[in-house]
Amino acid sequence: MRFPDRLRFAAAALALALPLAASAGAEDVRNQVIAQQKERHPSLAPSDLAAGSAAFDPERQAEAERNRPAPGAAEAIEAGKRIWTRKFGKGKSLAGCFPNGGRRIATAYPQYDPRVKRLVTLETAINQCLKTHGQPLLEAADPQTMGAVLAYVRSLAVAQKISVRAGSAAAEQRFEEGRRLYYTRMGQQNYSCASCHLGHSGNFFGNAAVPSPVGTATQWPWLREGRPVTLQMRIRECLDRMGAAPFPAGSDELAHLDYFLTYLSNGLAIRPNAWRP
Amino acid sequence: MRRSLRILAAAAALASAAAWAQSPSASGRDIFLRADKGNCIACHQVPEGAGPAVRANMGPRLDAARLKGWDRARLRALLDDPMRANPDTVMPPYGRHRLLDAGEIERVIDYLHALP
Repeated sequence: MRFPDRLRFAAAALALALPLAASAGAEDVRNQVIAQQKERHPSLAPSDLAAGSAAFDPERQAEAERNRPAPGAAEAIEAGKRIWTRKFGKGKSLAGCFPNGGRRIATAYPQYDPRVKRLVTLETAINQCLKTHGQPLLEAADPQTMGAVLAYVRSLAVAQKISVRAGSAAAEQRFEEGRRLYYTRMGQQNYSCASCHLGHSGNFFGNAAVPSPVGTATQWPWLREGRPVTLQMRIRECLDRMGAAPFPAGSDELAHLDYFLTYLSNGLAIRPNAWRP
Repeated sequence: MRRSLRILAAAAALASAAAWAQSPSASGRDIFLRADKGNCIACHQVPEGAGPAVRANMGPRLDAARLKGWDRARLRALLDDPMRANPDTVMPPYGRHRLLDAGEIERVIDYLHALP
């Protein structure tokens, strides 16, 4: 009778472990994802995975190197700098809303703000500043304005390590919401982000290798055909490809996904304004 | 008389356009390849001559050897909803989510059964 007892014990342990895994804290989830990706790609470190498709594809890697610096990056950064430093009365500017004029701030976003009880992404923080000063807000999905500003602000944090926090129950809850969305099947194609990017990272969809979620948050905005594409813009493109109605630009859902993905890249240096085809 | 002919010609052209839009004659190969249809080629490689050479490997390479034992009923069930057999699959539920209609699924099966 010992064998069935052992089976029952194993079944009970498994039943306990599964819900725990589903509600594990942000740091546990991050470690689990990194371990799972390490198992899939034993020769690649998290910092290698940050290259996206190129991490798995020497041809794409060579193409990326030929396009470094990315065409259009300098122009986008310059356009963003103009918006960032433009004075909107009484000597105020976007630069004045952030410590050190915005230098080395980008890697701390998204962050949970207990005063407004919401996640604040870099996009949100920029628009909060504009709102405070009675200025028109930037459209989160617009590469020419928000994309350019983010190209500039993130260029001020090149090589800084991502350090987003989940130090409170409320922040953990937002992380968990991002995780839940990431693992939820959506749209006509019935994909979840996880079903492709976790289970098939490194495999080819068409002629492009599927990027790992680890490191995804390090290189945005990506420059595609000279235009900056932010992480949230890219998530919306992915949702569209999945046959799902993309979450609205600037929505809480995108903020939660942004938070989840950025947390997975904690400790990795950012290299924004990288070329993408 | 001339006016009637023009109306008839216009009606015929409209009917033809409508029929084309519904693309009742899209071949199984077209459906397999087209991004707005099955887009199966995004995940599966097929033998030379049966479709373009791609690096896709999300799903297995499909050829006669791989499809041995896959009769019409089994393929139909898979294409309708692959999650019934494998809840973790990334293959879309072509029938259940109405990505393809029943006729299109049958033509994809014809194409798959003709693979060398």
